[in-house]
Amino acid sequence: MAALVGEMSWFCCGNAWGPCGSTGRGACGTCNSGNYQHAWPNASAACFTITRPDSCGVSMARRGCGFRHYTTNLCNGARIGTTIADCGPQTDLFCGERSCCGSACGTNRIIDLTPAAYSAIASLSSGLRPCSVDIV
Amino acid sequence: MTTTMDRRRLLSTAVLGGAGLVGATALGSLAPEAAFAADARAVEPGAPDPDFAEGRISTISGGTLLVTGSDGVLHSIRVTDGTSVWKLHPTTFDQVAAGDGLYARGVRLPDGTLAADSVWVNIVNLHAHIAGVGRNTLHLDHKGQRIVAHVVPGFSAAVYNSTPAVSDLSLLKVGRHVQVLGAWHPDTNEISVATVYAAV
Repeated sequence: MAALVGEMSWFCCGNAWGPCGSTGRGACGTCNSGNYQHAWPNASAACFTITRPDSCGVSMARRGCGFRHYTTNLCNGARIGTTIADCGPQTDLFCGERSCCGSACGTNRIIDLTPAAYSAIASLSSGLRPCSVDIV
Repeated sequence: MTTTMDRRRLLSTAVLGGAGLVGATALGSLAPEAAFAADARAVEPGAPDPDFAEGRISTISGGTLLVTGSDGVLHSIRVTDGTSVWKLHPTTFDQVAAGDGLYARGVRLPDGTLAADSVWVNIVNLHAHIAGVGRNTLHLDHKGQRIVAHVVPGFSAAVYNSTPAVSDLSLLKVGRHVQVLGAWHPDTNEISVATVYAAV
């Protein structure tokens, strides 16, 4: 199965400070900022009706809580394995958005990583990066 | 893997040895994107990362931050000359204050101290709707909370769709959904804006 190419960002969850304090443990009830976890736009039927990646032409499989994905930062080749802990990102709100590092580009938001996971492959201050997502 | 172990050993030496504090800069593991490709301890997907910490700074003693994690766990985080520090923008350790929130990534030393490669102070990455636009302020609805986001001339930028970041934030309109990367003002509902990502 070919890797899905798009954009990645990060989000906080679980115990947190500041504006993150109200975010909770995510749709799966297990999310923690310090864990290698992620949000997936098709984590359930209910999730899909909110995120609607299909409206941007993105086809992605339905995969539930705990499923493992492997995300590669296309800017540096760094890769990390994480499990689904929440629903998101809301792909349809940024349809067509594109991020590039030189000639390596990703279009449409396909995954949000926790701060621990994102910071293992990119700087948190980068905010948004092109990526590929795989299952192996 | 050899690179990982060499670097881990070097950074540990840099932190544990007095003169080695300066030596940490020689590791070349600072701000560039390449740093994050350099190494990572093998962590099982879903598990907590021992080389990562978050929380609020209780005290600052020399180059050591004592941080109370949001889960109540206490962290000792050592900052060296080689640590990259972000607080709205890349900055220096003297800008870090007690009460600040942070995320830190580095190398966990045998005594439990985290020798930091990178520290992001007060950083937030919010998904919100614009509820109001004022002079150099955006009023955001974020998960039912109102956030006042201050535009900082010279630092704040906007990314519209696929465009490069620009200083012109005039395309941000009430009702738009945005992602706002910024720095929280501790113990308030206010942030300073680093970058706003918006679809227009």
